[in-house]
Amino acid sequence: MDYEEGKGLRLKQVCIRPDGVEKVTGHLKFLTDLSFPNMLFAKILRSEYPHANIVSISTEKAEELPGVRAVITSKDVLGLNGFGLIFPDQPVLCKDKVRFVGDAVAAVAAETEEIAEAALQLIEVEYEPLPVVDDPEQAMLPSSPQLHPNGNILHQASYQSGNVEEAFQSCDCIVEETYQLPRQMHAYMETEGGVFVPEKDGTLTVYAGTQHGYKDRYQLARILNMPEEDIRVVSSPLGGSFGGKDELNIQPYGALLALKTGFPVKIHQTRRESVRSGIKRHPMKIKMKTGAKKNGKIIAHQVRIIADTGAYATLGPAVLDFAVEHATGPYMIPNIQVEGYSVFTNNGVAGEFRGFGGNQVTFALEGQIDRLAVKLGMSPLELRQKNLRQAHDPGPVGQKIAPTDGAQQVLKQISQSKLLNSCRKQDHNGLIKTGVGVAITMHGGGLGYGRLDPAGGRISLNEEGKIEIAFGFEEFGQGLLAVIEQIAIRAIGCSREDLHIVIGDTYKVPRSGSSTASRGTSMVWQAIQRMKAPFQNSLLERASQCTDVPVSQLKIGEKGVWHQDELLISYKELAKQTIDKPLIIETRFDFPATPCSIPGGHFLYSFAACAVKVEVDLATGFVRVKHLEQAVAAGPVIFPQGYLGQIEGGSVMALGYTLTEEALIEKGTYVTENFDTYLIPTIKDVPLSIDITAIEELCEEDEYGPRGVGEIGTVAVAPAIAMAIYDATGIWVNKLPVSREEIVNKMMETEMSKWLTSK
Amino acid sequence: MADKQMSSSIKLPSEERMRMSIFVNGKKKELEIHPAARLVDILREQLHLTGTKISCGIGRCGACSVIMNGRLVNACLVRAYQANEKEIVTIEGLAEKGLHPIQQAFLEEGGFQCGYCTPGMIMAVKAILDQYPNPTSQQIVDGLSGNLCRCTGYSGIIRAVQKLAEKETSRLDSKC
Ligand code: FES
Ligand code: FES
Repeated sequence: MDYEEGKGLRLKQVCIRPDGVEKVTGHLKFLTDLSFPNMLFAKILRSEYPHANIVSISTEKAEELPGVRAVITSKDVLGLNGFGLIFPDQPVLCKDKVRFVGDAVAAVAAETEEIAEAALQLIEVEYEPLPVVDDPEQAMLPSSPQLHPNGNILHQASYQSGNVEEAFQSCDCIVEETYQLPRQMHAYMETEGGVFVPEKDGTLTVYAGTQHGYKDRYQLARILNMPEEDIRVVSSPLGGSFGGKDELNIQPYGALLALKTGFPVKIHQTRRESVRSGIKRHPMKIKMKTGAKKNGKIIAHQVRIIADTGAYATLGPAVLDFAVEHATGPYMIPNIQVEGYSVFTNNGVAGEFRGFGGNQVTFALEGQIDRLAVKLGMSPLELRQKNLRQAHDPGPVGQKIAPTDGAQQVLKQISQSKLLNSCRKQDHNGLIKTGVGVAITMHGGGLGYGRLDPAGGRISLNEEGKIEIAFGFEEFGQGLLAVIEQIAIRAIGCSREDLHIVIGDTYKVPRSGSSTASRGTSMVWQAIQRMKAPFQNSLLERASQCTDVPVSQLKIGEKGVWHQDELLISYKELAKQTIDKPLIIETRFDFPATPCSIPGGHFLYSFAACAVKVEVDLATGFVRVKHLEQAVAAGPVIFPQGYLGQIEGGSVMALGYTLTEEALIEKGTYVTENFDTYLIPTIKDVPLSIDITAIEELCEEDEYGPRGVGEIGTVAVAPAIAMAIYDATGIWVNKLPVSREEIVNKMMETEMSKWLTSK
Repeated sequence: MADKQMSSSIKLPSEERMRMSIFVNGKKKELEIHPAARLVDILREQLHLTGTKISCGIGRCGACSVIMNGRLVNACLVRAYQANEKEIVTIEGLAEKGLHPIQQAFLEEGGFQCGYCTPGMIMAVKAILDQYPNPTSQQIVDGLSGNLCRCTGYSGIIRAVQKLAEKETSRLDSKC
């Protein structure tokens, strides 16, 4: 194996990422920075109502505005008027009905953005408003207005083992609680956008960020009624995504307008447009009933999840499956019953978001464990230890998984945290209280059983004599390029200057599947392991043929192939001499899935444990996270700076989820429209240092290498903070973001009753 | 007919123009532009300096941060008439050649991931260090509180600025 086993001390290693210089100098062109000669600007008209019939649309006045080049409505959609990663149920342009305020009704291309904006105001749409379905539980009732032909339940998933009802009878201690999780916004700094260029030969080039260029190409081909091969999707770099740009967003409009006008068309959504139209994390209401024996053995766990999936499907079904699968986390519980519903409403659209349903259920699950621990008078760590999975236990839905000791490793590591034993200081007037909390999590990688999850890559010696590594993955900040570079250098034995890495362009890359579900690093490593030997052998054979030195005496190194400490033939020369027989190695394989037929069931898991220390100001309800630690078990670290960055960044994103972030919708309309009311953490809100420990050891027989860490750092933070708040104040948080008002009110109640009783 | 009149009578603000000159990264630029055009659009669209980014458009994120007459401003809030005759430094003007020490520190400490907040963030760091060569944690945090980063959680940024401050300290120490 090609990674060096270490103890996680390498996280501080300095290594400059390949895209670094361009980023710090501002020279990197994001796709929303591009411009082309004669480029037009487009704007999209979104629905005025969260739910309405469209009576009529008149675009004449807009078309007559000087400078307007095209106005499109549903009748201009050349192929399928729909998109969606699972079912194409979201209209590109709505014809007779709108189901959320981001639904597109028309779009305009004009000579300037300003003219396009003015033209939107001249489009007359007559609506007939319909009752707004804004409560998922109401939406499940037969009396509710039905948003889609098959009703309001998009998806239902369940898991059962043993008999919970019977088991609850024999429990000594039962905790029952309902948890509510908010609609979080990805808040990638670069809003959706790009440029769409009709080429002279009738093809179309799409420059727009996504997490999966080929999937965009597939969806666009359906919409444009064009062969996939005639569409080129250039999809990297992106200014952040976090799951939010995996689904199509502005691409259909730019593409249709470019084809209609014959000119390049640029769209770059404003933040308000982005908030209104973009997907969000699923708000969930999770009811859990968990029972244990006096000795701390948890024997029954019952879960009901209702997810507000908003107006369209996108990845709603998969997110729910993930939540159901992870509802018992790393604990071995004999009697389990989980049921989940993903329900349509007029509340925006919820879809893929870093953590993928795991964040919501983990908040609830860990909340249950902490409440049980308090009730049983046991330490939360001890209770976790008592019920924790061992290396060879089955996965959370009883499925066969790759053996992993991650749960034990992270719990052991976090138990040693100094934070947990640090002193609880109080300020002199007792208004600031300190508390600590811990939570752990287990998170599946890849798309899971029964889902097409192909991966692949290519290594070649290109004409310029570079070792070209190509993957159909995208770079949205996570450090994929650095990961490819590090893995390739170590596997092949060349230097970074010998490499040419190609990603994010369907004309140039093989299919690798989506850059999602923490699969990128894992798939790059596995692909290169598969291609390494054939590539090296073939390279050496060629070198041998060109130089007449036997293969056994040759070695791959910096700049070329070496013989006894001497550069024998450079890659450049080798490429030149073998130009008629190019060296290309490709691989295709699937992300490893569990053999058990559980829809979406995972096989590879990573683990994290988080410890936090908070200060709660009782007078204002303000919660400040003073320190945060995470221990992560996800196999070997490939690119230390990237690994660290993923966990630090993920921690802070989760801190926002816990304390301040909510894309608030009232009666189907967004109340939070920009960063003045949607509050992501600033540098003032974060602990000044976050300590991360990487646990790199895998089980002995493990052959799957490094796991991705894009999501795992976001999962255990919220429940750890909630526990710390309880520790500080005695208040249990069951709804996020934590309400300052509630803390103040509850404190007043307790203080008041203390005062009254003392009288 | 009446409708037609209405549509052509929509008056676009851009039809009014003023002459302005600004000094961007040391070069004088003359422009004919609407007095209320945003500086961020002038930089990105007229002058093709796309290093300066746009994200919130309302002065809350700092992606558009540039230095104007020595002070950090949000270019999405500055209008053409306010920028007239002013000196602007953007990320493109930070280092004449090679890398500025701030850029080097960001590279080494992981002060960025997607890189979209980075130009604004680096300009904000420059503004801090121009004012306080050896900033305290409080000064760093205050100075960067208007710059949002969604990727890094700020840890790498804090490490980068601390590293710069340490270098400054040891430079001062070795002087005395
Ligand atoms: S774009 Fe100017 S502050 Fe956000
Ligand atoms: S690096 Fe992506 S927003 Fe800061």
